[in-house]
Amino acid sequence: MPSNPLFEQTVTALMAGEVICEYRFPDCYTYLLKTEHRQRVADFLDQINRTLRTTSSRDTWVCAYQDLSAPEAKEAVRQQFREVANHLEAFVQFLRLVMNIETTDRPIAPGDHLKEGRMIDRVSNVPTLADKLRSLSEKKPFQNKRSDVAGRIRAVLDALVVKGYLVRFGTSGSVYQATGKWTWMYDVMTFIQTHEGIHAGTGDDEEEQLRLA
Amino acid sequence: MARSDDAQKTLRLIAAYSEEILEAHLSRGNCLPDTEENQGLIERLKHHRLAWQIDEDEDPRLNKDLVKLLNHITESDRRRWANEQVDTLWRELTELFEQYRKARANVSLPDQDRLEGEIKEHLHLLIEDIRGATETFSAYLNSGFSYITDLELRIRQNEHAIDRAGRLTALFGSFNIQELADQAGSDPFLKRLLLKYLPATLEEGRRNLSYALNQLRVMLVRLREDQRLNRLVGGFETHYQNNPGYTPSIDHLDLEACPPPLNTVSPFQMNAIGDIYDPVDDEALIDLAASARIVDEMAPQESPTPDSVPSVDFDVDGEVVEEPEDPVAVVIDDLIRYLLDGDIGDRELCASEVLINSDLDIALPEWLATLSAELDALTGPDQAMIDIQYHHEQDPVYPDNHFIYDLILRQSHAG
Repeated sequence: MPSNPLFEQTVTALMAGEVICEYRFPDCYTYLLKTEHRQRVADFLDQINRTLRTTSSRDTWVCAYQDLSAPEAKEAVRQQFREVANHLEAFVQFLRLVMNIETTDRPIAPGDHLKEGRMIDRVSNVPTLADKLRSLSEKKPFQNKRSDVAGRIRAVLDALVVKGYLVRFGTSGSVYQATGKWTWMYDVMTFIQTHEGIHAGTGDDEEEQLRLA
Repeated sequence: MARSDDAQKTLRLIAAYSEEILEAHLSRGNCLPDTEENQGLIERLKHHRLAWQIDEDEDPRLNKDLVKLLNHITESDRRRWANEQVDTLWRELTELFEQYRKARANVSLPDQDRLEGEIKEHLHLLIEDIRGATETFSAYLNSGFSYITDLELRIRQNEHAIDRAGRLTALFGSFNIQELADQAGSDPFLKRLLLKYLPATLEEGRRNLSYALNQLRVMLVRLREDQRLNRLVGGFETHYQNNPGYTPSIDHLDLEACPPPLNTVSPFQMNAIGDIYDPVDDEALIDLAASARIVDEMAPQESPTPDSVPSVDFDVDGEVVEEPEDPVAVVIDDLIRYLLDGDIGDRELCASEVLINSDLDIALPEWLATLSAELDALTGPDQAMIDIQYHHEQDPVYPDNHFIYDLILRQSHAG
């Protein structure tokens, strides 16, 4: 059977634990849109105890274990979770920082653009945002020793590029685009919220009850 | 026609009572409440023929010319409430057709003429309002309610728009155009309005509304998801503030039934090497190897060079270029010279001890192999002057092989 570069690229990315979305792996994403191709990838993964899954948004693909009875698989899942759990506070701080910068009520979503220049401008002019950025720069995985706002923002954004949450957009080098990995992060956060009994944001609950009443 | 000053007085009157007149037009179906405080206004409007009243028990109504003007200047407001406006116009149109049918039955030609004119005007207004109503929804979709900053309010506005679009669709569905067309008589213009323009406008309106409804619902789902995520982030933020050092854990979970969001694989790199055993790949591998060599040779040239170099001289006569010395070679040279020329008498030198005392960063097997090679490279007479004793062990499986683990060196005349 002749080799298929897109199949190879897709399977390699999935096996490496990458999250496939239209912004980070556009070719693989387009390849997976076709049922026949999805089936081919799933059949391959099936033979090595893995399967193809979508996140709750239904437009982002991840590779999952098919059978978790093996201790190695369980340990791998725990390890992946620890990776998120250890950095979760920093990610929450980053999300809030971006919401404050963009003065919006909605957290960053796949496809959103982050303009480094605008972020620097806003943070430089608002001391509370500068404090939040400094606090963020002291936490892994955003830890950096830069003392200036521009350097800190660049370090944070670059860390997110490395982790697969952002990609560089366009040719300017200062515009970033959010990837589908955020939907996976929100899914994990939703699980933790339910599992650990963390209450939803303050104030809104009461308002919601009043509205429904 | 009123004289110029009369016309100015009329305009001033409208301006002076603009609030009451607009209230009557927008909220009271063009009727002025017949109250004590309105008496002055009613009298003056009647004086300028801007209001009329047939029965004393009924509230006075605004004149149709004034209503036309008000319709024109309150168009945007009517669009806001377009569904109510369209509904009212449709009901009035149905009533006009009923009167028209009776006028035709009674062969009352003046009434027929008057009613035909009114019907045409109503149909025109209706078509205008249907277009206006659907255009409003396009404006909603274009803005995405972004002018409302609060997410909760934006969701409510979206729900409100969906509700209005739904009601308008239902209203369009209730129009029975064929029934009116049957009553339209033989007027070709009226027939064209009823059978061509109104159905086409309605069809276009329905299509626009259907699209708008769908998009508004999609927008609503997205807004609700944004709201959920906003609360999710807010919840974690508060939790971290209240519980410093908190780290979620799943170590106590069995994971037999793993929640889907957690089930992600650990990275598994898929690597491969070139197939050197398959002759088919020979050519490709040869090319790769050749290009790898070229790259290697070119590598030093990739190092950054200064912007400008005035001149470069090679092979300058008499120039001495000192190469850095290999510390291992230096120690071995010193050792051999000491063995050949040194006054060491009967003493012997242990190669491993020399290495320990030399500060060289080299493994013992490599040291022994290098030293042995240097000794072998000596000229015959020099070799004869050094006695080498190998400390070794025999290989248990292959007795002809020996593992050398040290060298003992001494001057041969001493032995």
